[in-house]
Amino acid sequence: MEENADLAVPVSPLWGMNMEKYKKVIAFFKELGFAFDVSRFDDRLIAQKLVCLLEFRGIDLGYSCSLYVRGPYSPDLTLDLYSFTREFETLETGSRLNAKEKEAAVELGRIFGLKPVPLEVGATYGYFAIRQDCDPLEALRQVKRLKPFYSEAQIALGISKAKEFLYTPTREDLEDLKEETGIWQRASIKSLEH
Amino acid sequence: MKITRERTHMQNDILSILNESEGLNAKVFSLVRLKLLASLASLGPDGATYRELKAALDINDGVLFANLNVLKDMGYLTSEKITSEGKELELYSITTEGQDEWKRTRTWLCRFLHCGV
Repeated sequence: MEENADLAVPVSPLWGMNMEKYKKVIAFFKELGFAFDVSRFDDRLIAQKLVCLLEFRGIDLGYSCSLYVRGPYSPDLTLDLYSFTREFETLETGSRLNAKEKEAAVELGRIFGLKPVPLEVGATYGYFAIRQDCDPLEALRQVKRLKPFYSEAQIALGISKAKEFLYTPTREDLEDLKEETGIWQRASIKSLEH
Repeated sequence: MKITRERTHMQNDILSILNESEGLNAKVFSLVRLKLLASLASLGPDGATYRELKAALDINDGVLFANLNVLKDMGYLTSEKITSEGKELELYSITTEGQDEWKRTRTWLCRFLHCGV
């Protein structure tokens, strides 16, 4: 039987990838040692913020993070967390991380750990600084507006972690830093001489 | 002459759309309740805490609490106590009835707004 071209449903080449996108997220959770439990509010929050931070760093997981009352958030991810709960909870996946993704996962784990508050503050800052291209002061103002229930110290820590995770220092940044801290380094070396 | 005929047609159209609103729950039509339903509908079963709703929607405690309770009484929202980072918080989620009502309301509002353009 000949195929009728008029009846053929156009399928996007990304369709297969989109169907499997949750598997890549599970691979990240596995690398991070994240024992996800859908019944725990904090776990669902951590899952959302991990994915948004990775997206803001340029890792395309296929989950678009936009601004909702909970800060940066992906309703598509929520749908998958509830549709594939068993896979997420058992970390069952056929997907593997490439070198770039693995490096991002290691950095994410080292900088944030699996702590809800820094992740939430960091992801919110990342949304405004990266996605909305706000200057640092405006991004800070927006974080404070959306998360007034966190202390100044919690916000400062979350933002500092976000900057460490999302920005790679340029050669100029490193030179500036060297110049800024050089005085103390030299003083410290000198003090060891005595 | 042509303008008058168009205006009459538009008025009839608005009237017919307004008549269609009879199937909707009139108690949903307040700015705060619409904001709450729209916000929670996007989050599905995940829901949002009281403090997140208060901060993001910039609604004061009295108004927020009262309207959340009205939506709960209508069966459109549920609430539960959860613990986050050792703190006890109130989490609000939309029910299936709430999602259905929000879908009907949103569709009607879109039709109404389009009509006015």
